[in-house]
Amino acid sequence: MKKSILVAASLLLTSSVAFAADFKQADNQWFKDAQASIKARMAVQPITNKAKNIILLIADGNGVGSNYATRLYAGQQAGKLGSEHVLPQDALPHVALVKTYNTNAQTPDSAGTGTAFHTGVKTKAGVLGVDETLARGDCSAVEGATVTNAVETFSAMGKQIGVISTARLTHATPASAYAHSADRNFEADSYLPEGCGQKDIAVQLIDVMKSGAVDIAMGGGRRNFITKETKGDEGKSGKRTDGKNLIEEAKAAGIQYIWDDKTFASADWSKPVLGLFESSHMKYEADRTGEPSLAEMTEASIKALGGSENGYFLTIEAGRVDHANHAGNAARTVTDGVAFAEAIAKAVEMTDPQETLIVVTADHEHAIAFNGYCGRGSDVLGLCYDIDPAGTKHSDKPLMGKDGKPYTVVGFLNGPGSILGEDGSGSRPEVTQEQATDIDYVQQSLIPLSSESHSGEDVAVYGRGPWSHLFDSTIEQNEIFHVMLQAATAE
Amino acid sequence: MPSFLLGRRLATGRLKERNITLDRRALLKGSAVVAGGGLLGLSLMPSALAAPKSIKMRELYNKDLSFSDFAKEHEGQVISVNGFMAPPLKAESKFFVLTKMPMAVCPFCEPEADWPDDILAIYARRIVDVIPFNKRIVVDGRLHLGGYSDPETGFYSMVRLENAQYRRV
Repeated sequence: MKKSILVAASLLLTSSVAFAADFKQADNQWFKDAQASIKARMAVQPITNKAKNIILLIADGNGVGSNYATRLYAGQQAGKLGSEHVLPQDALPHVALVKTYNTNAQTPDSAGTGTAFHTGVKTKAGVLGVDETLARGDCSAVEGATVTNAVETFSAMGKQIGVISTARLTHATPASAYAHSADRNFEADSYLPEGCGQKDIAVQLIDVMKSGAVDIAMGGGRRNFITKETKGDEGKSGKRTDGKNLIEEAKAAGIQYIWDDKTFASADWSKPVLGLFESSHMKYEADRTGEPSLAEMTEASIKALGGSENGYFLTIEAGRVDHANHAGNAARTVTDGVAFAEAIAKAVEMTDPQETLIVVTADHEHAIAFNGYCGRGSDVLGLCYDIDPAGTKHSDKPLMGKDGKPYTVVGFLNGPGSILGEDGSGSRPEVTQEQATDIDYVQQSLIPLSSESHSGEDVAVYGRGPWSHLFDSTIEQNEIFHVMLQAATAE
Repeated sequence: MPSFLLGRRLATGRLKERNITLDRRALLKGSAVVAGGGLLGLSLMPSALAAPKSIKMRELYNKDLSFSDFAKEHEGQVISVNGFMAPPLKAESKFFVLTKMPMAVCPFCEPEADWPDDILAIYARRIVDVIPFNKRIVVDGRLHLGGYSDPETGFYSMVRLENAQYRRV
């Protein structure tokens, strides 16, 4: 039965190409482009050999909606109308939709989702590298609930490992690759509750670097590696109260420490590298000075690990798409989204699909939403302009709500941009194109919250390379780990 | 920020906003003196009563967070800056922090609140009437540059507006 369906589908595709010339629209560019696209896709063959290298790229909070905003922005910055633009992840050959919920949360958080794709099991919100038997915060249950994570899995295969994030390296997503913690917030010892027996997350990172499991770790979060009495390289105090200077411990173990763009540029990449470029998170791309970009960190890591005999596992997070969404500031969502796309492009360009599996995904989406009915080319950060019935580009007429006021393309369902006060009163303010396109503009939202929230809707996973064809249909988020495992262990 | 300050900040953030109409009148009067400068003799003219044009906070900083030419040129002068009042660190205080965007705090994502790098410390003339963190305000005050630790909260700032008055936009 299955075979006959496949044969029928094959005949249909062949005949559609053969009969294309009979269609009145055969010379229509859309028709021709679609035919060419189908042909190209028919030529895609699954790669079923073992993957030597695996690169997992995650943009935190970059669901299908946030990714769409970045696509429009990147296209419009390139002089296009926007929608037609193809991001590097859009061009990868295989894709699936991903269900992101945590075992106890319809709306997930980054600790539970990171654990899913870094260990292969779903778990509760707020916990790292442990299964769902652990109640968040219960330090005594960590040992019993611990599951094997990506760093342990791939280092056991002899692969070199890199962990990169523009958030703090101790933040939920990067930490889920290497740490086991009853709470994502246990980033330094000062956050551990009294009597909690587990190691804090910063100590766990230094442990896996000293053990030789992790070769490169770059991101923010210097404060969690030094004491409250110690001033870091940029003059800010640390968070530790146990008297430990983990940076000095790393140096003593032969790990090279870098902290700004200059030390990054002069680093000896033949040695293990710990890069801590900010006291807390690295800067948003729009504000970045004095520290490397995500693409630069990606490039340096691939170059450094590329010579590894048994290959490498590289997990890379664009951590601040999420933060910009939390702030309700779409301008920084899309500028960090573009920085993520540039890192993907770098990974695609520098690797061979026959030996390297590239996986691109997000951990969860946000309460971001898009108004209509905007004409093509409406600035994604600006007002929604009406469709021009006689043309392609939008008209010069901003669309109005029933309140007689214009509205923007992007909005949020909740967050600091709420049109309501804390007492529930208020009304929608006027907004001009100039105000809306300011980099610090906070989009209007409905429900007043101090921070815009995640949402539970699906994200996408895109893949290229060995076994990436397994990204198909709608999958559970923890299956991503199993595709990577299949690729790394295929015979 | 130390957690004890965060606790206070969240608590004081719930204070109800009070009507600031009187403050606004007082502010306009004060601004007139500033705007009029040496033209006090003309203080009844409408133009002299207008508040000075407000700048965005980012005009005080270069991208690398060094002070802008505008900041250096206006040190010691009264300027007008728009932004958002972060929930005050301490109740019944004259001190608050102005942020360029509403100070979003994600309890799910962070063990404690992080201040942005580009902030402006405000020392008001009167005890602060709390304005919701996401409502835009304009602050007029005398610009001071250089490191300073707030004696009440220990908050360290590099740039401040002193003797300040503020109003909702």
